[in-house]
Amino acid sequence: MEERLLHVFRNTPLGRETLLQSIYFCKTLDISMQIYVPQATQFLMYFDHDAVQVDLDSSYLIAQDTAVSHATSLANERGLKPGFLTPKNFTASQLPDIPSNFNYMCCPRSISDLTSKIGLGYIGPKVRRIVKSSTFPVLLTSAAYKEWKSLTVFYGGSENANRALSWGLHLSRISGFPLDMFTFAEGHSEGYIDQQLDAAGLKNQVQDHVRHWFRQSGGKIEDHLNKVPHDALLVVGAFGHGLIKDFLFGSKMETIQTWMPNSILLVGPNCVFRGA
Amino acid sequence: MSVYGWLSSVRLKWAIFRSDGRLTVIALAGFVGLCSGLAAVVLNRMLHYLGEFTHGLHHHWWAFILPAIGATLSALFLNTILKERAGHGVPEVVYAVSRYGGLMRFRSSFSRLVSSCLTIGSGGSAGPEAPVVMSGAALGSNIAKYFSLRERQRVTLVGCGAAGAIGAIFNAPITGLVFTVEVILGEWRAFNVIPIAIASVAGTELSRLLQGNQIAFGHQQFSIGLLDIAASFGIVLFATLVSIGLGRMLKSMHHIAKSNRLPHWLRPAVGGMAVGVIGLYLPLVLGEGYGAIQDMIQGTFASGFAIVAIAVFAKMVATALTLGWGGSGGIFAPSLMVGSLLGVAYYRMLIWIVPAWTITGEGCFALLGMAGLVSGILQAPLTAIFLVVEITGSYEVILPLIIVSTLTSTFCYYIEPGSFYLRDLIEKGQYMRPGTDAKVLSDLSVRELVETDYLAVPGNMVLKEFIEVIKHSEKYLFPVEDHLDGRYLGMIYIDRIRPYLFDNQMHPVLVTEQMMETHVPHVKPDDELADVLNIMENTRLNILPVVDNGRFVGMLSKSLLLDHYRKELIVQTGI
Repeated sequence: MEERLLHVFRNTPLGRETLLQSIYFCKTLDISMQIYVPQATQFLMYFDHDAVQVDLDSSYLIAQDTAVSHATSLANERGLKPGFLTPKNFTASQLPDIPSNFNYMCCPRSISDLTSKIGLGYIGPKVRRIVKSSTFPVLLTSAAYKEWKSLTVFYGGSENANRALSWGLHLSRISGFPLDMFTFAEGHSEGYIDQQLDAAGLKNQVQDHVRHWFRQSGGKIEDHLNKVPHDALLVVGAFGHGLIKDFLFGSKMETIQTWMPNSILLVGPNCVFRGA
Repeated sequence: MSVYGWLSSVRLKWAIFRSDGRLTVIALAGFVGLCSGLAAVVLNRMLHYLGEFTHGLHHHWWAFILPAIGATLSALFLNTILKERAGHGVPEVVYAVSRYGGLMRFRSSFSRLVSSCLTIGSGGSAGPEAPVVMSGAALGSNIAKYFSLRERQRVTLVGCGAAGAIGAIFNAPITGLVFTVEVILGEWRAFNVIPIAIASVAGTELSRLLQGNQIAFGHQQFSIGLLDIAASFGIVLFATLVSIGLGRMLKSMHHIAKSNRLPHWLRPAVGGMAVGVIGLYLPLVLGEGYGAIQDMIQGTFASGFAIVAIAVFAKMVATALTLGWGGSGGIFAPSLMVGSLLGVAYYRMLIWIVPAWTITGEGCFALLGMAGLVSGILQAPLTAIFLVVEITGSYEVILPLIIVSTLTSTFCYYIEPGSFYLRDLIEKGQYMRPGTDAKVLSDLSVRELVETDYLAVPGNMVLKEFIEVIKHSEKYLFPVEDHLDGRYLGMIYIDRIRPYLFDNQMHPVLVTEQMMETHVPHVKPDDELADVLNIMENTRLNILPVVDNGRFVGMLSKSLLLDHYRKELIVQTGI
């Protein structure tokens, strides 16, 4: 069955850039695209354990009459035939329920706040909820359209990082783009990372498939981020640990999304790896 | 025992406890019941204080704008601040249960408390029951989410929330249990009933602790004779008509409001102002009307027959205006009010027609009218019976109560199948009870049932090559694709091309495109399985191609579908 990406389209220049990223992602990975053109500023997504109400920024309702034709022409120009999603079910008679059985979803860093807020270091609350609840990875696009030519997985040895690595390997195989790994061994011995990789059954795949493994230690993670290719799609595990651990030790994902302008594929704690 | 040993044993016990789904739900049921009971008490208190505040203002000439202000603030709070769309509450809970395994938003646990308080406290004609049901259900859902419970456990906790809320607001635990099982969940199972009963008791007890153990309406002694039972059949007729009328009035008012071009936040003001104007002449219609119901049950309701008859109609209109135009609240309390007015009017009409009849007091008929309206509107006769018995403490009226409730509910069902709460959901095909055909099919999808091991052949393949393909395949169906762009073109059924297979002259000249059938219906991965089954039945085909974006994806067979159907049915019914 063909994999599908959900894209919530906003008919603005920023929305165009986001859509172009989605189109490139779909074309590169041979995925079909379902576009939802919102008719109201709210919709609901029911996941396995959470109901997320997305309150869209009002710019999603700009130029609705031309939204479908604009999105279609952008996709067709790049050889993609998008499908358009029409909600079938409604909560409280008025709130559209958007299916959550997609393989990927594409979002800007925030879909509820004014676009002026969107920048490095900020992921909106609704996008966070979607990443935490979804069974699919979420593509957070860079502000301007940029084609990625490789993938970089940030690997720290956690369960979520193993999942992100599985996705990275899978996407690299499909796209034919090289895969790099980046490890910042903060407080962990080198042996620990290898052990974790071995335990997850990924060691051989990494040896066979990974082009460069940037293993860094000392200083802060941001001191080493320049080593990550500028045209790489970053694959990062997100929200893998609880509130207290996050509060005490911080989150690598937050640091990465604060410093890296690349497009990021976030693999949440409930994300299921469906690849081979 | 060392600290480490103690911690290990606690962890082991916790693991055993968590592994037993029933124990977990039973333990959490009490907590959910307490939370929803607290929500009910909070709303009750808020309504009490707001009612006291606005009571002093109702004698002013401008008092008619109070319900408009309340309804507007309520709509602004619900739609603009919390961005949660309006609704009666109960249909949203039933929708969440039947469609999404009881998943509800956290904001629903408090939004309706505030919005309904503003609507009802300012004089709007609506009830607080549906908002507390929604609040309690949302609390149950979110507690289940916090403890990562499974879908079935979550649905039970949603029911626990509803039961705790109803139990607390009416001080009626059995009604809480019966309402939840009859209206919200629609199934009686030991797995559900025990936790729901616990939650209902917990909610009621909390309410008694904080507000005192008082039945909602004072207990009256009624001596029921044969004549009273005979007279109760008349109530059935009127209650049926009024129930249907009230339901339709609400729906048409909703349509009128919807077709209006006024901004969303202003619409409730129109309804509220109209209610305020009615309230100037008939203050009886304002608010939930529990005071007037009490008078009617006690037989001390002073107004004459004409006023009571007008009040029945006026309360119906006021309720339709309040709720139809976007005010927040439920239909439960207005049903009780309209029902008791109807009962009193009916009693007075009987006495006027046959003054010599020695029938019991009008309070009894007020109770019967209440039961009639509740069972007619909700189509939930057991809820009506237990509600009236519990909130009045009048067990003597049980016989006519059963007659009125069951018959009204049955007649209403024949006129309009589906209660007021469920009608919209039924019309949209969104009402699905666990274990029903619609629910089982909705929980399966074409995507998960499609078999992708079918080999598609190009349209320009000659028969000779195709025979080689058949030799190495166990399938009897072959999809044909365009050899240039991979588009799905049609199907080849081996049993239908047998004449060509045995004609050697055809082997080098005939191509698959010429043998395929193009009129075979196909389905899409996102099609509803109920529609797919209909296509299979209408075309008498047991297997259909699945095509996505013009490309062949796989085949969907009836046998596999029914196999999964059975498995899903077992999961849903627990058999």
